This record gives sequence, structure tokens and C-alpha cells, in this order.
Amino acid sequence: MPEGQEQNPLGQAQGPAAQRGRDPALAALLAHVARGDQRAFESVYEQTAGQVLGIVRRVVRDPAQSEEVMQEVLLEIWRTAARFDPEVGSATAWMMTLAHRRAVDRVRSEQRSAERELRVVSAQIAYDEVAEAVEASLDRERVRRCLTSLTELQRESVTLAYYGGYTYREVAELLGIAIGTVKTRMRDGLIRLRDCLGVE
Amino acid sequence: MESGDTDLHTLAGAYAMDAVADADRARFEQHLAGCGACREEIRGLREATARLATAAAVQPRPELRGQTLRAAAQIRQLPPAVHGDELMHGDELMHGDELMHGDEPMHGDVPMHVGEPMHGEGDTAAREAAREAAREIRPGAWTAGAWRMGRGGRNARGGRAGLLPRLALTAAGVLAALTVLLGVMMHGAQHQLDQAQRSTHAIAAVLNAADVTMLTAQVSTGGTATVVMSHRQRALVFTAAGLRALPAGRHYELWLTGPAGTRPAGRLPAVHAGMVGPMVVGGLAGGDRVGLTVQPAVGSRRPTAPMILLMDLGSQ
Repeated sequence: MPEGQEQNPLGQAQGPAAQRGRDPALAALLAHVARGDQRAFESVYEQTAGQVLGIVRRVVRDPAQSEEVMQEVLLEIWRTAARFDPEVGSATAWMMTLAHRRAVDRVRSEQRSAERELRVVSAQIAYDEVAEAVEASLDRERVRRCLTSLTELQRESVTLAYYGGYTYREVAELLGIAIGTVKTRMRDGLIRLRDCLGVE
Repeated sequence: MESGDTDLHTLAGAYAMDAVADADRARFEQHLAGCGACREEIRGLREATARLATAAAVQPRPELRGQTLRAAAQIRQLPPAVHGDELMHGDELMHGDELMHGDEPMHGDVPMHVGEPMHGEGDTAAREAAREAAREIRPGAWTAGAWRMGRGGRNARGGRAGLLPRLALTAAGVLAALTVLLGVMMHGAQHQLDQAQRSTHAIAAVLNAADVTMLTAQVSTGGTATVVMSHRQRALVFTAAGLRALPAGRHYELWLTGPAGTRPAGRLPAVHAGMVGPMVVGGLAGGDRVGLTVQPAVGSRRPTAPMILLMDLGSQ
């Protein structure tokens, strides 16, 4: 834990644009949360609830269910803050991984229970929604730009999987391409995205 | 991990985006455990997917804030993982993930709050928190395979019973039967290891108690429940086999009921091949009985369905 740094864990820079810069501060906050500091958790909530809700809504769609899942995720962050290890990844990645995973679990368990047929969602629609939603800030703009730097198949595979919550097998089915191809496109697409975004 | 390696490795992208089914995930995590470069790649890809997530941020309704903060105050936090060895590396990589697997019965496959209006009472999260707080010791990681092996020991002695339980075994017998099970748990998938350790410790505390006893009873809707308990430890370990699979939105819920009142003792983990458990329940009070219901929704503080099992636990 980044202990002993001269920062007040409760007084953070605000705003999603400072994503990279604020992550160490978030990590420090999580260390306080791990010790049961409710004020620190409040700060974590303020900084991440919108992000958690955003990705959950993207996957789950239903607003009421999304709010439930968002709360579950935040409570999970509270409960498991001691398990966050900054050596292993950024605080944001940790929390977004939790959020996305839980959103995906929710839609898949619903699918199983209702034995719903796969909705055939056009990849183009999924992408348009992304493009529309990411225009708000520089950060979003950058993500959008990086998404457009992918090949069409990479982009469709990534957005259907991540925002759509589909498994790679489902994506292969949706796009009508071989499973092996989808796996490769997803990996190549994410690698390109990672490099474009300049994340480590 | 030899021939399938290359093929398996291409799964990294799908894995980083949770675009894998459970079987693929398990396979890939096994692969990750022995591949440092792969862990490093996943780490980087997860930073990228996190940016996809934050790019989708929206403004939550303000009232969610208070609800969530109040709920958090009622939830006991997990202690840090105290381990320093390589074995846990895979687990660390996916830090947090462990909690999202099927082994977490609280939030497993069953959609929460099904049929309950989310905004009606306002604090479903708080009620969930209360349930969580009531559960002193959490049930551990679990695999169907481990369960089968553990069952073998018990099955040799398991018996018939009506709704009334039957005192079955000596302390030594119980220990012999369940030691196998503990050992197997310890060798479960790596992401489950840590949780298994904690749960195993709790189970061991019951099994090693001087007054350990074992009871079995029939579940009226089908299946057999087994309870290993220690009045001295005020705790029991609950397992069951042959339980009917439930439709989505319903789950088995354990209760303690007695002079001290009726308290929720936890939702059973998802049924794998008819079997569940072991689940550790703490806070036993004198005269308590163990009940089981099929609950239609999460968050009830009292059973809202008939008991399909009610076991006397004997006297102190």
C-alpha cells in the first residue's frame, strides 16, 4: 500500500479527465477503506459510482437492475478493499473489472433462467452507441478515437463482448465468423486499444 | 498446458473482457497460474478495458449514495489476504475476481431482488447488507468435484431420517470423513484458495471441537441434509445432497430458529449436481433448530415459505 505519502486521501482531484493521475490517489483511498474508513468509502463512491453505473448500464440495460448491480459492486468494493493490490493493477482497473464482471454475471444468469434466445444485435448499433456516449470528455474522445483505429472486425468483436456482455462464442455467432477468428480479433483489438490509449 | 497452449493463449482478450463461459475461464486461469507473461498481458488488457468502462460513465441518482453508504456500514469487511508465496499469484492478478465466481453464494447465479420493486422500499441494499452482516462466517469456495470426494466419506454412514434428525457419528468418525474434504478444498482452483483457507479454518474449528456431533435429516422436498456441529463453538457446518434444482429467482435459505428468535443463517450456494455446501453457520444459541426454506426473493429476514427441513440440534 502506498503508505506515508503526503496526500490527504479525502481531498482528491476531481473529474474523469484526470484518470491516470488520480489512480494512485484512488489506490490510497482504497487502503483507507480497507481499514473501515467510511469517509474514504464516501470519496470512493463519489469518484467511481458513475463509472460503475455507466458500464453496468451498458451491459445490463435495464435501469433498475443496473442500479442494483451498481450498489452491489460498490458494496463489494467496500467489503473486499483489503484485497486490492496496487502491484497488480490500477485501482480503476480493479473496480471496473469487478463492475463489468458482475454486470455480465447478471445478464448471463438472467439469460440462463429465461432461456432466452440470443438477441441479434447489430454490431453497428453497438458501436454507434459507444461513439455517441464517449463524446463528453477528452478521455471519452480518446477512447472513441482509439476504437476507430481498430479494424472493423476487431472493433465489433470488442464492443459486442465488452459493452454487449456476450461471450466470444456468442460474438462469433452474431458476426457469423469462426470462433478462432473472434478470439484472435478480440485479443489483437484489445492490444491495439491498449497501445493507442497508452495504458501500461 | 503443452499442445493447447497457443490456442489457449489467444483467449486472453476474451478473458480480459469476461467474454468467456465458466469452463473456458477455469481453463484459462489454470493456464495463467503458470504463465507470468500471460498475467502481465491480462493486466495491461484490463487497464484498457477499464478505459472502455470509464468512458461510459453516467450520473447516478443522488439517493443511491446514501443507501449504499448506509449499507456498507453494516457489512463486515474481508481481512487482507495474508500470504507471501507464488502460489497466490494467479489469485492476485485477478484480485477481486475471486469474489465474482460461482463460489460466492451470496451473489452467485441467482438474480437478486427478483420481483421486488427496487425503489419501493428504497433500501434493498441495506437489507442485503443486514443479511450479510448476520452471516458471521462466510461459506467457502467450492467445486463440485471436491464435493463429490468429500461426500464419499460421509455417505458411508449417512442414513435415513424423517424430519427428525438422527445422531449419527462419533467425533472421530466425523473428522475422518471431513478431513478428506478439507484437503480437497485446499487444492481447489487458485482463485478459490484463499477463500477456501478461511472457510476451512472455520470448518476445522467445528470439526476439532471436543463436542462435535453429526446429524442427518431428510429434506421434505427431496434430499438429505447433514449438520456437523459444536455447541461449544456455537457453530455448525451444513451440507446437503440430492436437493432439487430450483428455478431462477428462488434459492435455498438456511435459518436458525429457537428461543433466541428466528434468524437468517445464509443462502445456500448454488446446487451443483444436487449437492451444496459446506456452509459454516455461527452464532448458535441454546435450543436452536436449523430450518431450510425455498425463498422467492432475497432479503427476507423471516422465512416466507414453509420449512422443508427443521432439525433439532439437541441440548448443549
